[in-house]
Amino acid sequence: MVKSILRYTMLLFILGIMIFPLLWMFRVSLMETGNSIQLDNLLGTSFTFQNYIDLFSNSQIGRYLYNSMFVGVIVTFGNIIFCFMTAYTIARYKYIVNKLLFVSVILILMIPIHIVIIPMYLLMVQFGIYDSYFALILPWLVNPIGIFLVKQYIDSIPPSMEEAARIDGASEMRILFRIVMPLCKPVLAVLAIQVFFTNWNSFLFPFILTQSDSVRTLPVGLALMQGHQAIDWQHLMAGSAIAVVPVLIVFIIMQKQIVSGITTGGIKQ
Amino acid sequence: MKQKKTTALFLALPWIVTLLLFWLYPIIYSFVVGFTNKRLLSKTYEWVGFDNYKTLLTDEAFLVALKNTAIFVIGTIPFTTIIALLLALLVNKQFKGRGLFRAGFFLPSITSMVVIALIFTNLFQRGGYIALLAEMLGFTVPQHGFLLDSSTALFSIMAMDVWMAVGYYMLIFLAGLKAIPQELYESAKIEGAGVVRQFFSITLPMLKPVALFILVINSIKSFQVFVEIFVMTQGKFETSTMVYFIYEAGLTTKFNFGYASAAAYILFVIVALFSFVQFKLLKQRGEAW
Repeated sequence: MVKSILRYTMLLFILGIMIFPLLWMFRVSLMETGNSIQLDNLLGTSFTFQNYIDLFSNSQIGRYLYNSMFVGVIVTFGNIIFCFMTAYTIARYKYIVNKLLFVSVILILMIPIHIVIIPMYLLMVQFGIYDSYFALILPWLVNPIGIFLVKQYIDSIPPSMEEAARIDGASEMRILFRIVMPLCKPVLAVLAIQVFFTNWNSFLFPFILTQSDSVRTLPVGLALMQGHQAIDWQHLMAGSAIAVVPVLIVFIIMQKQIVSGITTGGIKQ
Repeated sequence: MKQKKTTALFLALPWIVTLLLFWLYPIIYSFVVGFTNKRLLSKTYEWVGFDNYKTLLTDEAFLVALKNTAIFVIGTIPFTTIIALLLALLVNKQFKGRGLFRAGFFLPSITSMVVIALIFTNLFQRGGYIALLAEMLGFTVPQHGFLLDSSTALFSIMAMDVWMAVGYYMLIFLAGLKAIPQELYESAKIEGAGVVRQFFSITLPMLKPVALFILVINSIKSFQVFVEIFVMTQGKFETSTMVYFIYEAGLTTKFNFGYASAAAYILFVIVALFSFVQFKLLKQRGEAW
């Protein structure tokens, strides 16, 4: 009994440390501007949705939110289809080219993406797609970690069903999308969440590859909002909350897949 | 047969294009540009051999960035790993509300780094909650808060990173704990080994591969620290890191592409070594499970 109380006290204490900053963010986002956001007011009665209304009517936050959603959804779908296609080729066809492909996936997996910021910037300028959705989408439609993850999964599926379908005369495309893909649903769900989160939270590339509000994503918009005006924490935290809420919702619904995605290993944040 | 081969290639086409265009080309390009004095607006540029690399090794700003990155990697990883392990042990056994605690601890890891950095910018400033707490505990807070002081800024950001990452590595440790066969504990109990003894003779040795894996992925990630530096200090107060240096040299006022690319390649070599180890470990782990 004493042990149990001790355990819960400790757990609650740690939980407090882990979630306090986010709770603080939500609380401040609901405070009237002009109020001090410090101690006395945190538990006070000041409560308003005005900051959110202000942001949506007077700032570009709605635009950023749309951009983040748009880019996130396309990149996620791209990865589901393209990572699956590539993984299937590598797992099921035994040509030398396919071996080479797998080696390429492994090698790229090891490369720190941040080292290519300069050439990536130049490339986008050369292609004339700097500061457009294309710059935010095209390079990320398929990723080596995703291919690796799906390939491991396909390896564990016995090929007997595909062979049976092949004997029945089904086309390769039909086998791929009608038979194998449904079997891969669990791993594709894990992949989708991972890609969406990474994309939703990514900052460096969207930051260096865009310059106008019309294509900027939420993290970039938020980070630059702070630099622009004297800091108004109520609005800044309302903006932050807007960036966090979609992730929170997905997390609550898909907790199981997220956890299994991490524990199957080899996932970069 | 011929048709199957075409299908195989067709399916891999998106990856092949991405690979060539967005990975190999930039990687090779930045290697080459690293030996030139290319800048944004200059149409012509010259080969300068290893000059960029030589200059880098005497560039105060680069050396500080290198040093800070090393401090970041070495200073955060032991804390992140040990705290993550302790958390994993704490929520490993079945008890009421376990899922809630796990989710709560993990929550910071899925939040956007920009948001976390903004929140902590307030918490670390004078009058912010962390500063207030530090004062209550009898520490002296720098006059302008933790982030606007060279002696505390980097360490404050490091502490925030540890806080943010522990939940993620806790989950990986939990998977490792789950993979330890229960029979080991049962036979240890029969032989009269206590909880402490069990931990040091069974749990810790069995977790070694997972711990190694965590060390490596965490260092690869820590070598690339950028967002929090950009948002919280803009590289000022002795907080510049390698990626921040690359960004600053290549994509701000100077647009010194050649120089920045050379710096990027130094980082590349360091991280590639770590990544190589990571893959070796991953493979081992895959075979073990």
